[in-house]
Amino acid sequence: MQRIDAFRAIAPTIAAEDLVTTSIGATWDDWWNLKPDADNTFFTGVLGSVTSTALGLAVSLPHRRIVAFESDGSMLMNTGILCTLGAERPPNLTVLVFDNGIYENIGGPPTLTSRNTDLARMAEGAGCLNCATVDSPDALAERFSAMLDDGEMGYLVAKIEPGKHPWEWKDRKPTDGIEDKYRFLRYVERLEGVVIHPGAPQN
Amino acid sequence: MTGDAVPAYARLFVEGLKEADVSVVTALPESLLASVYRLCAADNAIRYVQVSNEGDMPGICAGTYLAGKRALMIMENSGIRQCCEPVARLAFQHAVPMVMAMSYRGEWGEQNWWGHNHAQTMAPILDALRIPHRFVTEHAEIKPAIARAFKHADGSNWPVALVFSGNCVELPAYAKD
Repeated sequence: MQRIDAFRAIAPTIAAEDLVTTSIGATWDDWWNLKPDADNTFFTGVLGSVTSTALGLAVSLPHRRIVAFESDGSMLMNTGILCTLGAERPPNLTVLVFDNGIYENIGGPPTLTSRNTDLARMAEGAGCLNCATVDSPDALAERFSAMLDDGEMGYLVAKIEPGKHPWEWKDRKPTDGIEDKYRFLRYVERLEGVVIHPGAPQN
Repeated sequence: MTGDAVPAYARLFVEGLKEADVSVVTALPESLLASVYRLCAADNAIRYVQVSNEGDMPGICAGTYLAGKRALMIMENSGIRQCCEPVARLAFQHAVPMVMAMSYRGEWGEQNWWGHNHAQTMAPILDALRIPHRFVTEHAEIKPAIARAFKHADGSNWPVALVFSGNCVELPAYAKD
């Protein structure tokens, strides 16, 4: 299973009304092309802060399903967030880690999950609920879909093979981090009926 | 904690958070703002998210902001060294406003050898990240400082920092004659 196969397996289960954060790298181009036709994704340009950003969304919007698309490199940068997740256990948050065992975007040196680190077992030890590892599209789709709707947090590691989908240049994510913020922020404003960033002070 | 046991600075701090519509507080507890952490953790109107590393807090604040709510991160000033990478990226790459509060370990008269480097490095790091900061040292300053910090952050799309010292921390021996 490559990352694009994993994304294709779970994309139909993500609704436009769900809110998503994503790890940096080739993940962005895959999800840009597969996501629902909505700006429901904050393309998080901060390795190590994808899950924490999703946690902020989850505790602030408890009525909404929140999904974090993580990578092994991003998770390994900041494993302390697992302990916070294990303490908070936000019932509306599902974390999906695409674990290929390498830093693919910079040429492929190994991450430490290629050695002895098991992220799902780390999450379980930190107190997280519903921690599992899958390695096929069918198993991924089944577990992920169940985690979205079970009323508990979920932490799913998808073991994937190295390899990037060869998106044409015109199909790659065209936005930068500022535009990503505003697209997402305005989408949440419409979705929740709130004003987050007004053009002028209210008083 | 009984009402009598709550230091005035901490009571004003938490009242200021509520008046500023702060709904999420994320923190790594330390000694100088000890009563603030205890009050926040016990307050049903505040979602208190304790972390194990200051580097987790910027993301939590960013997610809360993007949800249309207000969050505050609280730490000792040493924490800016841990969290400066995610703060920098969320500011420079995404222009996410953020309010951080920190105690000023290393105040004039600090007797702990390990405390001085926290003060020595705080301002240079904040300056390098172009994060404006204001000291809060008297009780009357607490609520206005919190309210204006959120306005400044939202107006500038950038992080700001409040540094608590003087009469706005617990009672460390070094700060009192």
